[in-house]
Amino acid sequence: MVVMIGPRRSAGIRWAMLPLAAILLILPCLVGIDYYLHVAIVCLVFVILAVSLDLLVGYCGLLSLGHTAFFAFGAYAAALLYLHLGAPLWITLFASGVFAALIAWLLGLLVLGVRGHRFVITTIIFAEIGRLIAYNWTDVTHGQVGLPGIRPPVLSILGVLEIDFASRAAYYYLALAITTVCVAAMWRIAHSPIGWRMVALRENERLTEASGIDTRGIATIAFVLSAFFAGVAGSLYAHYTGFVSPDLFYFTYTTTMLIMVFLGGKGTIVGPVVGAVLFTILPEALRVAADFRLMIFSAMLLVLVVFAPEGLAGLFNRFTGRSRKLTMRPGDA
Amino acid sequence: MDFIPQYLFNGLVVGSSYALIAVGLTAIFGLMQIANFAHGQFYMLGAFMAYWFTRVIGLNFWPAAAASVFAVMLLGILLERTLFRLLRGASLSSSVLATIALSIFLENLALHVWGPRPQKIPSPFEPGGIEALGIFTTPDRLLMLGITAAVVVCLHGALHYTTTGKAVRATFQQREAAALVGIDIDKLYTLTFAIGAGLAALAGVILGMIFVVQPSMGGVATLKAFIVVTLGGISSFAGGIFGGLLLGIAESFGTIIAPSFKDAVGFVLVLMILLYKPDGLFGKWS
Repeated sequence: MVVMIGPRRSAGIRWAMLPLAAILLILPCLVGIDYYLHVAIVCLVFVILAVSLDLLVGYCGLLSLGHTAFFAFGAYAAALLYLHLGAPLWITLFASGVFAALIAWLLGLLVLGVRGHRFVITTIIFAEIGRLIAYNWTDVTHGQVGLPGIRPPVLSILGVLEIDFASRAAYYYLALAITTVCVAAMWRIAHSPIGWRMVALRENERLTEASGIDTRGIATIAFVLSAFFAGVAGSLYAHYTGFVSPDLFYFTYTTTMLIMVFLGGKGTIVGPVVGAVLFTILPEALRVAADFRLMIFSAMLLVLVVFAPEGLAGLFNRFTGRSRKLTMRPGDA
Repeated sequence: MDFIPQYLFNGLVVGSSYALIAVGLTAIFGLMQIANFAHGQFYMLGAFMAYWFTRVIGLNFWPAAAASVFAVMLLGILLERTLFRLLRGASLSSSVLATIALSIFLENLALHVWGPRPQKIPSPFEPGGIEALGIFTTPDRLLMLGITAAVVVCLHGALHYTTTGKAVRATFQQREAAALVGIDIDKLYTLTFAIGAGLAALAGVILGMIFVVQPSMGGVATLKAFIVVTLGGISSFAGGIFGGLLLGIAESFGTIIAPSFKDAVGFVLVLMILLYKPDGLFGKWS
């Protein structure tokens, strides 16, 4: 079993990034219609979510089905901070991340000692508990009614220039910047010694432990980091939609993120990004078949998991003969 | 304190349905090493088939119940022969994701066919309650308890005194060794899957008569069944049954303390079990 971490990108791919970046930068001029920009912003939020989930599922091999809870906790933290203290996005972005990370750390104390189906079940239960709290603690969360009225930030530079991010185009650039920073940070983490240890944990936990690596510590780091970025995404989302409700805890959000990760290819950074983009555009394209949407998605996920467990990244690597990256049993994680 | 027997009884009724669902889940997990997150959908489909047979086709309750259980067993066999055979030997995350996808698919299929409105299966009994020992109940609820008791006795007998039952237990303990001594593993898997699906459907038929039938009930049932098997220990039949009853009773008493947090009772129980006894109350083989 050869595990090569960090596929060496050829110069060609690096150059291909340039036109892509250019397109992303002039996107508001290209699409024109406000609605497509909305799709683009939501897509950017899901890029952060998918990549952060991949840190845990793809790199560390811990299948978490409660990821949306960190997203929702982050969104609620941002909403409450904004509504009660008037904190702008610049503050809530960080505070939401830290809040979600803190919850992940506490939860990790409890659940990271178990593996396999027990871990999977506790993560689902955790998200359900979160939903019950958001639903029932009406003094703080207003229950099912939710918390409306969270505004996008206004940036004033030296009192001379004021940028109001309330417009779709302005918020798009803001989201693009934040997502780029987050994905770059996660790429850095995944390709650092911490990331290597996560992969080692995924491949063989006992051997990793026998090599003197604190596996529990690495699992905790992965859990906390992935929650942190999900919390950041929650803040970005809350300031954009201006509204949070217990619905954010729904299992559907977690399923969506998982499809993105598995569609693109788990255990890579590019994979979930591509998966998130495709899986945000696809539902828009399938709008005509709205009634059958969830049936089509679930059938897709089923086919992916059974027949192409390594996703598009795996297919791409197989196609270009670069399958050395990972040689493992089909569907292993 | 007069209400305690009543709450205990209510808990037992709901708990026995949890037990019926969880037994199948345990059997499938123990034998095939697949955590079937679509198991609750058999419960939902059983209930909807019974609704369809009684309300749309116009059958009597008893033949409709039998037909529903049989139909879901057939579906179980079909799925075991196709999807679950592909998933055999796959990693946990693959089987979890694939069965979750299957679960979403079946739920939305039901939503499409039968609509989101809650439906009711007509009861074969005369309306009216029975009161005894300070407990108020209905014949439907007694049927639920009676059927669960009968199933437990039959399963216990079959597992301990028939050749097939012994083969199941042998496979439970050591799959390869069981195959080596000539047990037809494939046949056993199909049989177990069909029985597991059928028991879940049976629970769905009866609870659909007591409460209501709707597409979202399957997902909730799956979650409850997994809580039960985590409580009881995932590869133990006794654990599945006692875990189910325990969860039902705990939830029933949970409604006294905080009605809106009723569902949280099971969650807290599971977290405590994971903390202090990660293999579950009856987990000896896991």
